[in-house]
Amino acid sequence: MTINRRTILKAGAAAAALPLLGSRAFAQGEPLKVGFMLIGTPNDNGWNFGHAQGAKFMKDTLGELVAEPTIVENVPEGPDCERVLRELAQSGHKLIFATSFGYGDYVIKVAQQFPDVKFEHATGYQRSDNVATYNARFHEGRAVCGTIAGHLSKTGKAGYIGSFPIPEVVMGINSFVLAARKINPAFEITPVYISTWNDPAKEADAARAMIDQGIDIIAQHTDGPAALQVAEERGIVGGFGQGADMSAFAPKAQLTSIIDHWGPTYVQSAQAVIDGNWASADRWPGLKEGEVQIGPYNESIPADVVAAAEAVKNGQIDGSFNIFTGPINDHTGAEKVPAGVTLTDAELLSMDWYVEGVNPPA
Amino acid sequence: MQFRLEKRLEPSRLMLYATPIAAVLLTMVIGAVIFSLIGYDGIGAVREIFFTPLTNAFKWQDLGVKAAPLIIIGVGLSIAYRANVWNIGAEGQYVMGGLAATWVALSTYGMSGWWILPLMMLAGVIGGAAYAAIPALLKTRLGVNEILTSLMLTYASVQLVYYLVRAPWKDPMGMGFPQTRIFSEAARLPTIIPGTIVHMGVPIAVAVALIAWFVMSRSVFGYQMKVVGAAPHAARYGGFSENKTIWLAMLVSGGLAGMAGMLEVAGPFQRMVPGFPTNYGFTAIIVAFLGRLNPLGVIFAGIVMAITFVGGEVAQTSIGLSSSATGVFQAMMLFFLLAGDILVRYRIKRVAPAAEARA
Amino acid sequence: MTPELIIAIIVTVVGASTPILIAATGELVVEKAGVLNLGVEGMMLVGAIAAFITLFLTGNHYLAIALAAAAGVATSLIFGFLTLSLSANQTATGLALTIFGTGFSALAGQGYSARPVTLLGPLFPAEIATHPVWRVLFGYSALVYFSLAMVIAVWWFLKKTRAGLILRAVGENDLSAHSIGYSVVGVRYAAVAFGGAMAGIAGACFPLLLTPQWAERMTAGRGWIAVALVVFASWKPFRLLAGAYLFGLVMTMELYAKAGGGPLSVIPSELWAALPYLVTIAVLVLISIRRDASSNAPACLGRPFLPSN
Repeated sequence: MTINRRTILKAGAAAAALPLLGSRAFAQGEPLKVGFMLIGTPNDNGWNFGHAQGAKFMKDTLGELVAEPTIVENVPEGPDCERVLRELAQSGHKLIFATSFGYGDYVIKVAQQFPDVKFEHATGYQRSDNVATYNARFHEGRAVCGTIAGHLSKTGKAGYIGSFPIPEVVMGINSFVLAARKINPAFEITPVYISTWNDPAKEADAARAMIDQGIDIIAQHTDGPAALQVAEERGIVGGFGQGADMSAFAPKAQLTSIIDHWGPTYVQSAQAVIDGNWASADRWPGLKEGEVQIGPYNESIPADVVAAAEAVKNGQIDGSFNIFTGPINDHTGAEKVPAGVTLTDAELLSMDWYVEGVNPPA
Repeated sequence: MQFRLEKRLEPSRLMLYATPIAAVLLTMVIGAVIFSLIGYDGIGAVREIFFTPLTNAFKWQDLGVKAAPLIIIGVGLSIAYRANVWNIGAEGQYVMGGLAATWVALSTYGMSGWWILPLMMLAGVIGGAAYAAIPALLKTRLGVNEILTSLMLTYASVQLVYYLVRAPWKDPMGMGFPQTRIFSEAARLPTIIPGTIVHMGVPIAVAVALIAWFVMSRSVFGYQMKVVGAAPHAARYGGFSENKTIWLAMLVSGGLAGMAGMLEVAGPFQRMVPGFPTNYGFTAIIVAFLGRLNPLGVIFAGIVMAITFVGGEVAQTSIGLSSSATGVFQAMMLFFLLAGDILVRYRIKRVAPAAEARA
Repeated sequence: MTPELIIAIIVTVVGASTPILIAATGELVVEKAGVLNLGVEGMMLVGAIAAFITLFLTGNHYLAIALAAAAGVATSLIFGFLTLSLSANQTATGLALTIFGTGFSALAGQGYSARPVTLLGPLFPAEIATHPVWRVLFGYSALVYFSLAMVIAVWWFLKKTRAGLILRAVGENDLSAHSIGYSVVGVRYAAVAFGGAMAGIAGACFPLLLTPQWAERMTAGRGWIAVALVVFASWKPFRLLAGAYLFGLVMTMELYAKAGGGPLSVIPSELWAALPYLVTIAVLVLISIRRDASSNAPACLGRPFLPSN
């Protein structure tokens, strides 16, 4: 990693030119201050934990080039986050990551007032000169999980706990089912939306309700290990960790996990700001870039199933396999994507329909 | 040696002003000590939470915007509580006011005209008052405890927000996320100081408090509210209807909460989102008591609460104090403030143990 | 619906109902003494983290329950001191207590979130506790039987004992109870402490009975449902029991309906979530219509005791 000292000086001078906005720090040669705004706390074992780990990775990688990252937790999606964004910008942070969808309006608004500060908004879609968006292709990991589920499920039925039916969740469900049905064409899944990101007792009860009605594989798109713990307790075939490795909570039931690894993307952005070549863009890396990782496979999974899962993973890494390549039918059985056609990113990002094999929620 | 409380003939003026200040000072000292003992930067925490929001001029706009809804709702509640009407469902009335205003904004989407904001304001006030009318009706007709009904209705209203933004009001361009579209220009509150986020709600809050103070201390209405609250029997002889007072108290407090809801949704939010219920209605209950149920005191209390909110975030960014720690700070300050209330009405007297035979 | 599924649903409903039943049983006694403590949610969170840390460090489930109760009592005494000794407003103090409990539990729980523990196992031997049919009666942990026993104990205490009579007298008419020579403040302290212990144990149910982990704010509003439940039951212990299971059924049927499809699955989840509160209002209205004006609410509920000496 090469550091261009001159660009650091340039960035420092730019900051000094804007005393009106209350920039306190960032004198010449000072380390870059990076701020992170979280919707929960890093103690959630899931989404927020992943971002905090990414912040730590950035600091560990860039060392003296960046200051100790500032993490503001429990910031609600609303006017409160506007205040936090301004506070971060005024206190000399030159790169700010807003890590929840509902921050979008406010990121755009505050970014106009601080043209010398770079903002990056996770899972969002609104950009401007100094606002970039980024996300991770979690659905690629879902395809790996779905492959395992298709092989191992005895009942051919899986449950899926979601928070809200937003495209991100819908595309995860679809990816999972498409992969599973390549193995077991009768595979079906029932999503249950619980209208909250973090109510562990409700997640656990949702898992119980699904297991009692015949599913033997469980997946979830909420924070935390509650559903996996129920899978462990009930002794069903298993489930998947989401966001982080959750094998400590469910050593038998966690078949594998999808791990968010935001670190490299945070390093890349911070380095770009330091080098002075940061540019607004929409980044959507996945397995290939290492932003989405597949955790260790459970020892109980037969070798041929692991091989099949690895094949799906490697296919997505080398680009030979895409889970959203047709033919794909929607849940009524009508053809939605013709053979050989692959859904575009824009189509994925507005996905509001379910593929065949999903019992759509009302 | 034991202590005993003796009721003052008149509430102490000195204590009325001295106890809130003492409570805040005590919070700083004890908070700094406790947090230092458990390994935090206790002095830094106190500095960032209580002083930075005041010393840093960039934070003043935040204090105003954060305090405005607390003051508007708190003033309404202090009027109701004076009349012994325990509306604790202001959060629900705030939410319904916001929803009613959102309904107007969405119905007039794409239109322009000066009349849209006043119409939203009217809808917000009516929405909040109508939601407060339910506990008022149940109380006056059936004698149902308004504390309980107004609280239950709050939780129902929050679910209504979730439903509306997820299904019928969902932004068609919002990528499926549960929220309404951004209001059009005419349905958004303009900022009144260029370059800041200070919107109309801030002067409105001050005006509401001043008007309420004037009405409560100078008018028959205010007198009626206070008499019914302090001495219901005497009030009946004086020809004041208790039911009428309950209705007035609920409608005024609900209407003001609805107004705050309108100002929030049209100002800082500019669209309805699931995060709209932000506990302003509950926090305002505390604000009303900190302000000693006096509209002018409510202004002070609203600003104090806003300082702890804003300062809590400053402490997170500057010294890495966790949000849970600032919650503990806030609760501690509330405890001291509530405890100090007794000194206004009572004096502490030392008594010999022998005299303590009454109970 | 197969019998197996019905049994499974009952087992889940009992689990979901138990924490709200325990917390509400405590709050019922508090309210019967004329005190409204709205800090149930905060006390539950303090109980939950106390139970979790104890369990994580010692592995002893019963010690965890005991310390959760103690933590609940300690938290409730903050409320008791402010409202009873200093006659601060109960509504405001209760809300402040919830802010405190939320912040304190999160502070105390830092570093404990990635740690797994184990659930409290069934009370009865495995042969009967895991029997496909009999598990519906004997398959639960001690917390469930404790909640049932406490309902009976509280009913007996309020109805059959002299102390219970005094407690009700204090809640109905504090001034006359005071003039007869009872210590109004003393009785209310005892009631508030009991409510704190029960709320603490209700909090312990989260890591011990429902989901063996610590997560910030993991009670997710169930303390408020407990407050609603007391009103729904019109301050009667056995109605509280029925109401708790009804609320638990409402909370879990949503999930069973969505997971299984069928006619109930079309009801929006928001309506399910609002249902306990709407039904509680309906019940309040009904009891008021049936018994002209005087509902069962303790007459002094929420009012500070201010003897004019």
